[in-house]
Amino acid sequence: MIGTRRNILAGTAAAALVATTRGAFAQQETVTIGWTGPLSGGAALYGKNTLTGLEMSAKEINDSGGVQIGGKPHKIAVVGLDDKYSPSEAAVNAKRLRAQYKAPVVFCPHSGGNFAMQAFNEQDGFLIGAYTSVPQMTERGNKLTFRIPPSFAGYIDPFIKTTMGSFGKKLGMAGADHDYAKAWAALMKPAWTKAGGTVVAENAMSYNKDTDFYSGVSRVMAGNPDVLFVGGASEPTALVIKQARELGFQGGFMIMDQAKLDEIAHVLGGYQQLEGAMGVLPTVFDPRPGTQEFVGRFRKAYNRDPGSEAAYNYAALNAVSEAMKLAGTTSDAAKILAKLTEAFKSLPPGRNPAHITEVDERGGSNVRLSLAYVKGGKIVPVDAATGNLMN
Amino acid sequence: MSLFFQQVLNGLTLGSVYSLVALGLTLVYGILHIPNFSHGALFMAGAYAAFFASTALGANYWVALVFAAVVTAGIAVLSERLVFSRLRDKPPLHDMIAAIGLLLLIEAIAQAIWGADFHRLREPYPGIWQWLRINAGLVMPIQRGIIIAGAVVLMIALHLFLTRTTTGATIIAMAQNREGASLVGIDLTRVSMITFAISGALAAVAAVLFVPISLIFPAMGNLVILKAFVIIILGGMGSVPGAILGGMVIGLVESFGAFYVSTDMKDVIAFAALVLILSLRPEGLFPGYAR
Repeated sequence: MIGTRRNILAGTAAAALVATTRGAFAQQETVTIGWTGPLSGGAALYGKNTLTGLEMSAKEINDSGGVQIGGKPHKIAVVGLDDKYSPSEAAVNAKRLRAQYKAPVVFCPHSGGNFAMQAFNEQDGFLIGAYTSVPQMTERGNKLTFRIPPSFAGYIDPFIKTTMGSFGKKLGMAGADHDYAKAWAALMKPAWTKAGGTVVAENAMSYNKDTDFYSGVSRVMAGNPDVLFVGGASEPTALVIKQARELGFQGGFMIMDQAKLDEIAHVLGGYQQLEGAMGVLPTVFDPRPGTQEFVGRFRKAYNRDPGSEAAYNYAALNAVSEAMKLAGTTSDAAKILAKLTEAFKSLPPGRNPAHITEVDERGGSNVRLSLAYVKGGKIVPVDAATGNLMN
Repeated sequence: MSLFFQQVLNGLTLGSVYSLVALGLTLVYGILHIPNFSHGALFMAGAYAAFFASTALGANYWVALVFAAVVTAGIAVLSERLVFSRLRDKPPLHDMIAAIGLLLLIEAIAQAIWGADFHRLREPYPGIWQWLRINAGLVMPIQRGIIIAGAVVLMIALHLFLTRTTTGATIIAMAQNREGASLVGIDLTRVSMITFAISGALAAVAAVLFVPISLIFPAMGNLVILKAFVIIILGGMGSVPGAILGGMVIGLVESFGAFYVSTDMKDVIAFAALVLILSLRPEGLFPGYAR
């Protein structure tokens, strides 16, 4: 008798449990988006900024009731794993994100990790959301790669035109020795010579190994350059700029896109030492519609200024969710990738603060580039197509 | 010629910072007989303590320096009391694992409190030393002068402490022979605590001298501690003059390497120098009083 009652009770409980789980399941299916990048070590801040962009996008989508895919509302969950900037750990994380969470897309903010994932993402069937502007990322023929920022090749000519015109033809190369910076330098050097300039000194800084850049900078200064090519993470780049000024450098700077003028100015305590510097337009100074709207929402949510890392990754996940809706699938990476251009076109400006216009057949994004020049202690937007100041 | 002296000055600046960090490491080696991997975290903790004092408490640079030294000495003593003293009779491997654990722990705590962002401690005296520029054509930011002067003062003070005071003598005795020192009545616990406190304070002072020309971030200790290991191996494990000279050698080699060869080759030169010196003198430049 007692046994029967217990069975009934258990049966009811089980039925109730099934009912509730089913109900919850029908209401909100979840797509997990993977992210692997540095959350500890020297690049932790950079990693966190890219992840924040994705999280903000997911939160907004979920708050508005999720995204309709195949007629059902889906929530977006972002799972981020620390890879300490290491390609091998990025690959391990991607395998785990795929196996454990069935993530159709794995975002990664460094070229090494993305190249590592390209070795197996086609077999494993997931899309790489590559936040890196290395042109080779989409030139190796991987069919499931989406390169989020534009290739940096578009920066070279306007950079040269502006700084050579204002300061002179002698270039000192004081970039950095990580792969990304080397790729930049490899494009910059021949372009500068071709434009009629000379490279008077070359000495790449090692941001991962050096405690101090003074000797390295003074070696470049010994060549007496008119323009310095610098870059890497914003904060150490700021130290290189500061030391060049201390050593008496009066010329201009070309700052590769990894470093952001506003973050550099924050370290230097203003734009004074950055006079004559040419770089990427900081997101907060981008006057175009949509960007300012995004900046406002970001400030409200996180109580700080967004950088382009957040803006690009935010726009990318918005587009990916929209592409899943258009393709009607949460798992077929090739179909999702094929719908990205349409997805970007359908986004309102406020959800596409990166101004991505299309994703080409190789998976590379096209963007209207926005550059900036520091003049009179202020940031002046530059038209990338012509290299002319827009003021 | 002024370029040459410029590199000497740069090398001395770097060498001063390395030497201070290596000094703490080498002293603790005398007690633990293992390199204390968590020493880099103390360097970082010192920088954050000064940052906290100058931003949250509004302290001036020198007060922040003393505050950082005291706080970091406290952390070092705590780590000795809570971790290393309990492992005293265990195999050295346990100490080593515990030290790595401590390093990760302190780094994670710093990141949890202050985030992964880069922070800066403003230079107390910005600008360059005009006298040197006018008379010798050398560019020497004032802070770099402070680093060299500060390091020299501390090294002299440490030397006097170790050689002229009874407490200093007990530290040396302990490093030379732990059992013997205990037999003649030296209190092992007290000496360990003092040694750890000194090593923490030295790391903190090195950090606070250095960060006005650099950046504060959770992983900042890793770079410096790697060099400090090279230095104490080069100078002789446990040797005080070895740590000072080794630090200066590495600082100058880096500075000249970066200037005359290239930044790419700098580490190659530094480590080639290490291999060469060790193959000629396997016990290091100054076989210390540890053995």
